[in-house]
Amino acid sequence: MDPKTTSRRSLLGVALGAPLAGAALAACGSSGPTQTGAGGGNAGGGGGGGGSGAATYWFLSGQPQQAVREDTVKRFNSANSGNQIASTEFQNDAYKTKIKTALGAGQGPTVIWGWGGGTLREYVKNNQVVDLTDWFSSNADQKSRRFPASFQAATVNGKIYALPAETVTPILFYWNKKVLDKIGVSAIPQDWNGIMQYVDKANSKGVAPFSLGGQSRWTNMMWLEFLLDRIGGSQVFQNVFDGKANAWSDPAVTDMLTKVQDLVKANGFIKGFSSITADSNADQAVFYTGKAGAVLHGAWIYGNLKTAGGDLVTGGHLEYSNFPKVSSSDKGDPSDTVGNPGQYYSINAKSPSNQQDIAKKFFGSTVLDDAEVQKWISTGSVPLIKGSDSKFPSGPDGDFLKFVYDVSSKAKSFAQSWDQALSPTQAETLLDNIAKLFQLSITPEQWIANMNKAIGS
Amino acid sequence: MTTLAPPVATGRAATGGGGGAVKGATVTWMTLPALAIFAVFALLPLLGVLLLSFTTWTGLGAIQPSGLTSWRAVLSDPGLPHALWITFKIMIFTWVIQTPLSILLGVFMAGHQRYREFLAALFFIPLLLSSAAIAVAYKALLDPNFGLGPGLHLAFLTQDWLGNGTLAFWAVMFIVSWQYIPFHSLIYQGAVRQIPKSMYEAAMLDGAGRIRQFFSLTLPQLRYTIITSSTLMIVGALTFFDLIFVLTAGGPADATRNLALDMYIRGFQGNQMGLASAIATILVVIGLALALLLRRLGGSGSQLEGA
Amino acid sequence: MAATVSTDATRTQRPASPPGQRARHLRDMNWVGGLASWLWLAIVIIPIYWIVITSFKGQDTYFSGNPMAPPTSPTLDNYKLVIQSDFPRYFLNSVLVTIGAVIPALVVSFMAAYGIVRGAGNRLLQFINAIFLTGLAIPIQAVIIPVYLIIIKLGLYDTLLAIILPSIAFAIPLSVLVLSNFIRDVPKELFESMRVDGATEWRTLWSLAFPLTRPAMVTVAIYNGLAIWNGFLLPLILTQTPSNRLLPLALWSFQGQYSVNIPAVLAAVVLTTLPILILYVVGRRQLLSGLTAGFSK
Repeated sequence: MDPKTTSRRSLLGVALGAPLAGAALAACGSSGPTQTGAGGGNAGGGGGGGGSGAATYWFLSGQPQQAVREDTVKRFNSANSGNQIASTEFQNDAYKTKIKTALGAGQGPTVIWGWGGGTLREYVKNNQVVDLTDWFSSNADQKSRRFPASFQAATVNGKIYALPAETVTPILFYWNKKVLDKIGVSAIPQDWNGIMQYVDKANSKGVAPFSLGGQSRWTNMMWLEFLLDRIGGSQVFQNVFDGKANAWSDPAVTDMLTKVQDLVKANGFIKGFSSITADSNADQAVFYTGKAGAVLHGAWIYGNLKTAGGDLVTGGHLEYSNFPKVSSSDKGDPSDTVGNPGQYYSINAKSPSNQQDIAKKFFGSTVLDDAEVQKWISTGSVPLIKGSDSKFPSGPDGDFLKFVYDVSSKAKSFAQSWDQALSPTQAETLLDNIAKLFQLSITPEQWIANMNKAIGS
Repeated sequence: MTTLAPPVATGRAATGGGGGAVKGATVTWMTLPALAIFAVFALLPLLGVLLLSFTTWTGLGAIQPSGLTSWRAVLSDPGLPHALWITFKIMIFTWVIQTPLSILLGVFMAGHQRYREFLAALFFIPLLLSSAAIAVAYKALLDPNFGLGPGLHLAFLTQDWLGNGTLAFWAVMFIVSWQYIPFHSLIYQGAVRQIPKSMYEAAMLDGAGRIRQFFSLTLPQLRYTIITSSTLMIVGALTFFDLIFVLTAGGPADATRNLALDMYIRGFQGNQMGLASAIATILVVIGLALALLLRRLGGSGSQLEGA
Repeated sequence: MAATVSTDATRTQRPASPPGQRARHLRDMNWVGGLASWLWLAIVIIPIYWIVITSFKGQDTYFSGNPMAPPTSPTLDNYKLVIQSDFPRYFLNSVLVTIGAVIPALVVSFMAAYGIVRGAGNRLLQFINAIFLTGLAIPIQAVIIPVYLIIIKLGLYDTLLAIILPSIAFAIPLSVLVLSNFIRDVPKELFESMRVDGATEWRTLWSLAFPLTRPAMVTVAIYNGLAIWNGFLLPLILTQTPSNRLLPLALWSFQGQYSVNIPAVLAAVVLTTLPILILYVVGRRQLLSGLTAGFSK
């Protein structure tokens, strides 16, 4: 092969191809093809072509949450025969990719299911979602009946761009009393010293102190979130979120990072934690099979602990608590919590206006109505509606729900998970550095330097 | 696959120049259908990626041309050399582990004994599974608390396979070999069966033992097969994604984060499509260079093959 | 392990070495080969065994028992779940897409390979060959976004064709590489004799090259078929409605918002692999005879 010939020809190829490719790409941002989502969904009506037709709604698959969402859509459709919603469900990771590519090419659904925070901010920056502030003014009851803290993740630049929905799931400490009894721990730790003492005790008795799904990375992050909030107060992360330069250089951050590494070095976590994922529930299994005495995790695991955990829950061996204070010099309020303050439904700004109206009607009439609230409670979760606690069942399940409800509603600050709050780019850097922190392959100083560099990205 | 007959038989001399122009025109159009589809769905996107590397794009909203911004960001990021190093290690060890084993296995299966045919049938099964399925299975099998080691009560198998950087890398290499050795051994099996028995009989008469036969007769006969198989292996190793993504997502930390993963994570999770496109371009350039290099190494065939 | 094409007949012709040493050497080689192959078998089979037994375990009890032991109370729930989740439709779609992509890919690649080999020495054809070679190194994750945009522009989004066309494109490089290597070994004399008989290149393509290249085409068809059958990224990005989904997506519909139903995922794996396994068992003879039917010497 004659290289010179080839390269000349290749250049020619590029020259010809460039305008074509450029045209193809340029077209994606402007008038995209029409919405196609109406076919195949739950509702029969709606042709899907042109501007009219059913509104579309994409959400996550997976039971039991999927069933609740589908039920809500069904009830809306039967009450609104002219205006239907066609829903499609996607698996978690698939959904994240799909929603991005779809929105990026003007093909997104009318109702966008999401996690608020940084992703929502991206949508707003790109004019993808409708401003709902006025809608909330005209539908003030929809605002007042929801937990106030849930609106933080829905608000960008002072305006509300999403409807808080579904459930609150703060992060809690879960304790296996059977294990605690075995190792001779009578009371759960009340501060950081107590935690480190518990770690020593557990290790000396051959039990892992804490289970951890380290490979998932956001599980590690929960420890940092709580520690930082307790030690330095919620303002520290708020500075990061607001994009202040060198916000990570606050001394509380160094303290927090050092404590985390101390915990790892003291064998605070189950052996092999870096390869355990949270998705497979392996970290929960470590906890309920008694290999570890405790785990820091979301409120959503209660259901699984009950069904798969043998007699852990049914036998009354489960104890749960909020993250304790760290020390007496804490700047943060001990009632603060972190986790998912809700799920967030947005309306696609590129949808035809009649579909947007259908979506707004859906928000105002059926989402989180009494029937849906009841359904969430029956799946063992706490909907973010004030007063839903009156509907809780009695007994240990109800006690758990009440605990979650109190923690969520009484928290002075309910911070959204950092990886949801930050922009996806920053979040990725964060998770990457957290993984390295737990592997003990970077120092706190390096972590801070890396993260400071990433602020605002 | 490329079951090449021994070079003796084909009269390669009568080819090439004579009547090339006329013949060229007649047969060129035969390549057009493939070329058309390939151009639209592979080349055009490739150009698209190249162009994207000169932009900044989050995946949402407008694509902003930004010259060399993404390129500068990529080339100054310490993650890139690391990803390159991991990719390089994967490619080398893929070849080092898989080629000898595939050849040996292929030779073994080429034998006509009954039990070997039975085994060959079973050996093929990993090929039928998708990378995602294999990753899911191994992820559970290598779990330090609920996996194979604890299940069989074997301490040496109960390591932190996927949580320790070094172990994770070798675990990935093992699983990849598990997945692809069946394919390459199949290629070699077919190739070995092509070698005429007469050559072995002649070798026996000359007093060559089994090992001698293997090195002096079998291996040289397999030369072109080795080249093809190695090309596929190495270029394929460059773009490993599905398996590693599901298994470790590049972890722990970045111990198994090769170029393809780096590109995907930065683009689809970190919303930096411009940067990811730059990495993709690098990936393609390396792959192309490798493919051409290996072709060169193919020796006498290549000048006439016209590649 | 040595290349033993036929084991016993050759043993008698062994001059010039002490018989005892030779015999012992032979025995050692066989042992090593045999042992190694059984070891490899164990390595191959254990994960597959695990997949199958776990697919019969319930999600709740999955962690409690010994992972390597068969289920104490096997359940078909996972399989029921998979089948109820629209499995037959996904299956049909996968079949349509696989066949719809493999056959055209084979045909156009064969034609292109023929053209490249027969026109060797022609600059343009060498260039075209190089273009196809480029494709070997294109990672699909890299180009998926532009492919997606092109599909939309063509109005093919959310159709099976959207998966078929790019799949054909990506199958071409490997197919052309393999097929051209194979065609290259067809003796020139055979082509000459066809030409002397007045046959056009087109006729030569189908009457001469096609039958002779069959073994390679079988291999290529299998390789591409497997890749498309198990391909995940293209169906994920390019289709949307459930009626257009393919089997690999079934694997992922058991990952919920917070957790993965591993036994159900494995049941999906088994059901996805079973058809190919059956095909393999049935067609193995053909496959191997195809592979080994080279040129008669």
